[in-house]
Amino acid sequence: MSAPKPPGWARTLLRWLHPANTLEEVEGDLDELYEYWYRRAGKTQAVFRYSLNVISVLPPFVKRRQRKTEYDQTFFLNPDMLSNYFKIAWRNMLRQKAYSALNIAGLSIGMACSILILLWVRNELSYDRFHTNADQLFRLTCNAGDFKAAVSPAGMAAGLQSQMPQIESSVRISKPVTSLFEVGEKKFEEKRVIFADSNFLRVFSFPLVKGDVRTALNNPDALLVTEETARKYYGDQDPIGKIIRRNNQENFTIAGVLANTPSNSHLQFDFVIPMSNLARFDNDLKTATWGNFNFYTYFQLNKNVNTSDLGLNALSKQIYKLFKAHGSEMKVDFHLQPLTAIHLHSDLQIDLPGHGNMQYVNIFFVVAIFILVVACINFMNLATARSERRAKEVGLRKVVGAGRYQLIVQFLGESLIFSFLSLLIAIVIVYMLLPVFQMLTEKELAIQLLDGKLLLSLVGIAILTGLVSGSYPALFLSGFAPVKVLKGKMRVAGANLLFRNGLVITQFVVAIILLIGTAVVYKQLNFIKNRNLGFDKSNLLYLSMSGELWNKKQALKTALGENALTENFSIISQLPTAITSGTVDLEWEGQVARNEIVVPSLDVDENFVKVFKTKLLAGRGFSRDFSGDTANYVINERAMQIMGMNAGNAVGKSISFSESKGTIIGVVKDFNFKSLQHAVEPLILRLNRWGGVVIVRTRGGANEATIGKLGEISRQLNPAYPFTYGFLDKDLDNLYRSEQQMGNIFNLFAGLAIFISCLGLYGLSAFMAEQRKKEIGVRKVLGATVSGVVALLSQGFLKLILIAILLATPIAWYAMDRWLADFAYQTTIDWWVFVLAGLIAATIALVTVSFQSIRAALMNPVKSLQGD
Amino acid sequence: MRRTYLGEFEELVLLMIAILDGQAYGVTVSQEIEQHTGRLVTFGAVHNTLIRLEEKGFVKSELGGATTERGGRRKRLFKVTALGSTALRDIQQLRNKLWQMMPESALKVSGI
Repeated sequence: MSAPKPPGWARTLLRWLHPANTLEEVEGDLDELYEYWYRRAGKTQAVFRYSLNVISVLPPFVKRRQRKTEYDQTFFLNPDMLSNYFKIAWRNMLRQKAYSALNIAGLSIGMACSILILLWVRNELSYDRFHTNADQLFRLTCNAGDFKAAVSPAGMAAGLQSQMPQIESSVRISKPVTSLFEVGEKKFEEKRVIFADSNFLRVFSFPLVKGDVRTALNNPDALLVTEETARKYYGDQDPIGKIIRRNNQENFTIAGVLANTPSNSHLQFDFVIPMSNLARFDNDLKTATWGNFNFYTYFQLNKNVNTSDLGLNALSKQIYKLFKAHGSEMKVDFHLQPLTAIHLHSDLQIDLPGHGNMQYVNIFFVVAIFILVVACINFMNLATARSERRAKEVGLRKVVGAGRYQLIVQFLGESLIFSFLSLLIAIVIVYMLLPVFQMLTEKELAIQLLDGKLLLSLVGIAILTGLVSGSYPALFLSGFAPVKVLKGKMRVAGANLLFRNGLVITQFVVAIILLIGTAVVYKQLNFIKNRNLGFDKSNLLYLSMSGELWNKKQALKTALGENALTENFSIISQLPTAITSGTVDLEWEGQVARNEIVVPSLDVDENFVKVFKTKLLAGRGFSRDFSGDTANYVINERAMQIMGMNAGNAVGKSISFSESKGTIIGVVKDFNFKSLQHAVEPLILRLNRWGGVVIVRTRGGANEATIGKLGEISRQLNPAYPFTYGFLDKDLDNLYRSEQQMGNIFNLFAGLAIFISCLGLYGLSAFMAEQRKKEIGVRKVLGATVSGVVALLSQGFLKLILIAILLATPIAWYAMDRWLADFAYQTTIDWWVFVLAGLIAATIALVTVSFQSIRAALMNPVKSLQGD
Repeated sequence: MRRTYLGEFEELVLLMIAILDGQAYGVTVSQEIEQHTGRLVTFGAVHNTLIRLEEKGFVKSELGGATTERGGRRKRLFKVTALGSTALRDIQQLRNKLWQMMPESALKVSGI
């Protein structure tokens, strides 16, 4: 029998009105019941009860089943959600164009700065690491008391190697010499020429482009050139086997071509000549002396030698013992300096030029981080200040089921989008700024995006920036209570004001510290440049004697003396800026203990005092009127003090310097002949019997003519050599190149830090002005003046700047005091530096804020109050 | 934990679900109530109570497999949860305790 059917109309009603999610079961149940009733009570009764029961499961009587289990929260990394995040982020970015631009500008400039600095730091740290054996290479350095030098005697390399099994091989390199090279018509004076032992290329990894590494430096009459130099002399021709003439007297064949010296090598050279060539006439090499410190010695230690500080100390002690055992009475300590530490950690005299300074690397690294922080703070500040705009979104997301973590991820993701966008722009900025930066740092820097490490660190910077700058806004925004936010009565601005103010203060503390730093660096540089050195450094033109000039000294003197432009001249052995010789061998009357201070010496002629305009404290200078001056000495004040004499009794005393006895005939006032990082050292002046450098005191304004005249004389007497000249004050300025660079870089980054801070400040003030639009309207209606309103809006920011100045002053003072401690002669850190930096910061901040505050103050109150 | 209030009819339905032991659904529950108590209840009342009991966590439900009966429409079968059975036991215990506390004479009709 087929089951009875319930009335169709009731069923239609049921289907139409009953909640869909329970319809199936209810319909089935009612069918079953209908059948049951039909059997028990008949059709009429069944239809009646069926209709009644259908009504009982229709609204409003029926209870709806909650769809609890079937409805999961969407996974927050669901592709739909992700695309939604991107969409929302993009819309927000577009809707608030000005703020997005501010944010991205700040972040990208900050990142560009950091990238530039990181490139520089990376370059500094990469010095000499390209050598295959970099970890095993050490340089032998020495120190006698406070005098530390990078040089060592010629005989020690072989001597130590034969007695110390730890040393695998040793290489000696000469100080760079200047030579004239000649190929056919081409003739250049080359400054980067070194002599090196034959295993030079096996110990160091300077790649040889052409030639045989094993034999390249074996033939004393063959030399190596770098690619660039080869091109200079031979163009595109193959240079191997060609002849090159040195110093107009000696012919070499070219045995090989080296790759150009990497810019991150402390050894810089264009020519390498075998040491065996120099050994033909160099006395140090002939006698394998242990006494004269004239060469750079490098050791390659065995792989299993302990090269920790302890291990190296033990080696140094062993070297010292061997040195004593060799019969030397000099009190000299030796050290093994790791090759990779030479560039950044060396503070030695008589060293190769162009060293860096670890302190600067650290300082700039910190500066890079600071600037990035300033940029991040911008982002945080603007994001939180404007959080009200996003509050509704947060509320709505929470209502439809977003959890807090989901929101945090969303906002962090948004800031990551910003930071990666900024990274792209930053890379473009870096490309544009790189030439300028290279000029400032005088370094070859390149940004190679294909370099995995660099790319990784760039992405790292972007992620770090994104996470840091997004962290606070994300935590802050995701914490909104949906009910409060959606009611629209929430005042977000006040809640985090303290935090935001803290951020602004931090930004300006950084900016002001950088400003003060710049000011102090420049002040110190100025101080050094304008300091009275003890002689008049301006208008001193010099010509180094070369070639035939040595033999034609008398003719030279006559020629110089005949001309009014050049008659005020002096011939000295070395430029005062380049004194690299010295000895501890000094004895005097009444000496108590052996002298242990290295005393440099300078050979000067009779005109020295007059030409250099130094002052005589006692006695006289060298003079033609007195015979026998060749055995006399002029000393400086410091040397006089060391020997325990005074201006009254020094003259006439006899001393023995460098094993020759003589009498002191005069004392000159101290003059600085080295970088002002060092205090004045003792100096012994001897009568110049051979030559060296011609120094001419030019008359002010006649520089060009004097150079012309000097050139004429040089060409006449020394036609084989090109005429090269220099000015002493320029050389002196060059001694402070790294300080000058630091000043320039500091200046650049201080400016950028302020600029970034101001971007943020501009955004904040715009936001404030907008928020207080109504308030300003009411104030104006009640009679406030424009200036009053501007003052009202500005004073809040001004307060923050003042706090920043107060915080920054002691920090900057401390930091700069530490920096100055490196100089023997320091400028003072005056109070006006702080005031000036503070004033500049405050002025710039006020100007920034005033854009917005003046606009707000000028606004017609009718407009701003219209809305309500 | 706050004890969830269980109404008189809810308790009745819950007991029926327990008695039916896995075979409880709208039809059986209303038939059992009718048979054992004689009360005529609308299906809507039973339906709503079942949903409410489930919301309160005393029962859980799942849709049974489709059968040829009732035009292939599935049944929603109910089972008592652990919380539901504790609730029933608690009520039972409370009643027992209260019955024991009652003096003998209390239920005697006075005067007889």
